[in-house]
Amino acid sequence: MAQTLKLNVNGANRTVTVSSSDMPLLWVLRDLLGLTGTKYGCGIEVCGACTVLIDGQREHSCVFDVTSAVGKKIVTVEGLAADADGRKAQAAWIANQVPQCGYCQPGMLMVTVGAMKAGHHGGEIASEVEHICVCGTYQRIKQAIQSL
Amino acid sequence: MSVDRRAVLAGGAVALVVPVTMVANGSLQALSGTTGGSAAAPAPAATALGAYLRIDSLNNVTLLIGPTEMGQGIMTGLGQLVAEELMLNWSQVKVEHAGPSASPPNPFANPLFGLQLTGGSTSMRGWYLPLRQAAATAREMLLAAARQLAPGKTWALAAGGKVTDGTTTYAFSQLVETATLMTPPAKVALATTRNAIGQRLPRTDIPAKVDGSAVFGIDVQVPGMVYAAVVHCPTLGGTVASMPASASGAQALVNLGNGVAVVAGDTWTAMRIAESLGSKIKWTLPADTASRDSVHIRAKGLELVGSTNAVPHIYETTGGLDPAVAIANAPTRLDATYELPYLAHACMEVLNCTASVSATSAEIWAPTQGQALNVFTIAGITGLAPRAITVHTTYLGGGLGRKFDQDFVAEAVKIAKAVGKPVKLTWSRKQDFQNDMYRPCAAIRVQAGIDANKTLTAMLYRNVSPSINIQRNSKPGNNPEDTGAVAGALDLPYAIPNRRIEFVPNPADIPLGYWRSVGESYNTFAVESAMDELALAAGQDPMAWRKALLAADPRSLGVLNAVDTLSGWSKSAAPAGSARGLAFLKGFGSYIALVAQISLSGGKIKVGKMFCAIDCGVAVNPDQIEAQIQGGIAHGLAATLWGQVTFAAGVPSVSNFNNYRVLKLNDMPTVSVSIVPSSEAPGGVGETGVPCVAPAVANAYAKLTGQRVRTLPFYPGATMGGL
Repeated sequence: MAQTLKLNVNGANRTVTVSSSDMPLLWVLRDLLGLTGTKYGCGIEVCGACTVLIDGQREHSCVFDVTSAVGKKIVTVEGLAADADGRKAQAAWIANQVPQCGYCQPGMLMVTVGAMKAGHHGGEIASEVEHICVCGTYQRIKQAIQSL
Repeated sequence: MSVDRRAVLAGGAVALVVPVTMVANGSLQALSGTTGGSAAAPAPAATALGAYLRIDSLNNVTLLIGPTEMGQGIMTGLGQLVAEELMLNWSQVKVEHAGPSASPPNPFANPLFGLQLTGGSTSMRGWYLPLRQAAATAREMLLAAARQLAPGKTWALAAGGKVTDGTTTYAFSQLVETATLMTPPAKVALATTRNAIGQRLPRTDIPAKVDGSAVFGIDVQVPGMVYAAVVHCPTLGGTVASMPASASGAQALVNLGNGVAVVAGDTWTAMRIAESLGSKIKWTLPADTASRDSVHIRAKGLELVGSTNAVPHIYETTGGLDPAVAIANAPTRLDATYELPYLAHACMEVLNCTASVSATSAEIWAPTQGQALNVFTIAGITGLAPRAITVHTTYLGGGLGRKFDQDFVAEAVKIAKAVGKPVKLTWSRKQDFQNDMYRPCAAIRVQAGIDANKTLTAMLYRNVSPSINIQRNSKPGNNPEDTGAVAGALDLPYAIPNRRIEFVPNPADIPLGYWRSVGESYNTFAVESAMDELALAAGQDPMAWRKALLAADPRSLGVLNAVDTLSGWSKSAAPAGSARGLAFLKGFGSYIALVAQISLSGGKIKVGKMFCAIDCGVAVNPDQIEAQIQGGIAHGLAATLWGQVTFAAGVPSVSNFNNYRVLKLNDMPTVSVSIVPSSEAPGGVGETGVPCVAPAVANAYAKLTGQRVRTLPFYPGATMGGL
């Protein structure tokens, strides 16, 4: 059933009309709002590529009903540059030359920034990164996290 | 890239084989196919100088490349070549995907094989000299332009994209219009400086990969486009017998032969309908299910590996003695059979393609490793001439050999043609796993003999596997060879006087494809496991054993010495509770030696450290070489420990990352890399890190536990754990 919703994404209010109220946030971001930085990887909460922050909490947008995001602050990789922790993480990723193909890295950055916001550090953050990177950039992810 | 694979490619696309063009010609004709992750800001006015370079009003130099950036850092590596020849500051260098050009010859075809394809770790090998020559040609034309504008002075290049006579300085941007009118010199000298080549310069594509602006295929947006998903027959080889004419919520259903596409207003709706449609489609299943059943295929492989009735393709015969006779007479013998499973590619970015087709033109935006083949695919479906076809290459969320294939591109083009609108097709993860072009399984028997002097006198090697090349190219009157099936076992640098390398095809109907490191991904496991078993049989240290057999080959010996030092192999024993294993490969134009240091955790292998030495000729960007080795090791390690796809009467066993385990952060060993200095021509790097992992781990495991594992993966199916 089509439904019109108001979302707050990266500090901006957006209005979207979804074809169904159980449409996952991931596809609303990507297909309806054109925010393609958040990635589809598995669709079953295993790979982490779709991770976003919702009211500061790390969430897998591939299974997060868009209606549950109404009234909350959604932050995606496109919004990291407007956030001090986000900029710090991005700078660490660049300094350590982390990405290879780069596809999983938005999710890696979002989970890291979410952990920073929870007050976590270093190895603590690394232990929370259960995401998949098929390029195998883990060694540099660890270095980048350690430098935060 | 093996000779054989090259032959396949050329055989499939003869018309595109062209001589490499590297003269600057001032033409814009090659620029039509560019795309990439650049932001939407309008580009400053730019002038093309030859096919590969564009200089804009801000004095930035954009390099247009044929190879696909899929994480291996080729944009950066090729950019460094141009920066060196033109004395550019690194911040001035931009790199974009380009081609194929609308009319032949395509200047973006890899000079090694004359087609625009990315694979076989050939991009740097193919472009190192041609691109430097092209950039040096541009440099001479810019200097000629300065001479034309201000005759009688002595002009020289200056850092930062400038030309100076000591008093007057021109930016390239001031010269480029005139430079396009200059005659390219017949011969150019290459730079002898090393300001860019050999430096750890940062990647050009990384900023866009941390802010979400990098455009992968799956991110492409075209005005007016609709979204598609697909459901293929759950049994490989099945076809659509009947299907519904419509589905609620879908704009269209399109019969693709082996599947049905659903077109909708967004990807999720299309995927959801596609999933629910499965039960409403009637499939015609293939009559032969045994040829799509891995139990049957494996049994046949094990039969052929020991059969005297099998007729092998003999791809190498070395020495005056029949190795079978030499082995029979040897006092110490090895007779071991190694087995490897089918594997999936599991690229992070699922297969996808955006296509727009009209009566007069076709355009795709795709994460593709096979632009030259894309043109043929599209021409075949639409009937359009190649000049009416445009291929835009996006960033790839991993390629690994899978995105060389044409199935996903063909589907998108068929759907776009059927609905008359631009369409983005995205496969679900399940479709991606269950409709892969799988790495072949293999059974490999190695027999060898050691004489009374502890000398390895003979090796008889037989690889039995389904052949990629034969599967793709067999037809009446054409019985192709597949030397690629024994890549990694051919022309071994070891001093083994008598050897015979055989290949026995094990034909099956599981679709096969090129998987990062291809033939070496299975043959190196057999060769290097056997070398270790032979060393132990001869009572020798595996490092000393290999060094002795490679004593006449300085580059091979060089990486063994380097990895010995790096790992401390000869200096001290492995820490208590752990053991080291060694493997070596000469392949992809490079030399690599790898030491795995492993222990057991909860009874299972934990790889703590990996030590790698590589000689890849000129190391254009040492930081990216290290990154590729780290990544290659991660890829190889997942395959060693867990990677396996089985097939029950044509139905694949895997469907997502919850039943196909890949490496995670906690599994990642600490990788140390030693790059052996070399001034030889560049070798391949992207695939080189993968093949040694399995044998190095198996050799360490044998040392640690006394148990020799000859069948991969170590932990199949239910024993995998950790999901």
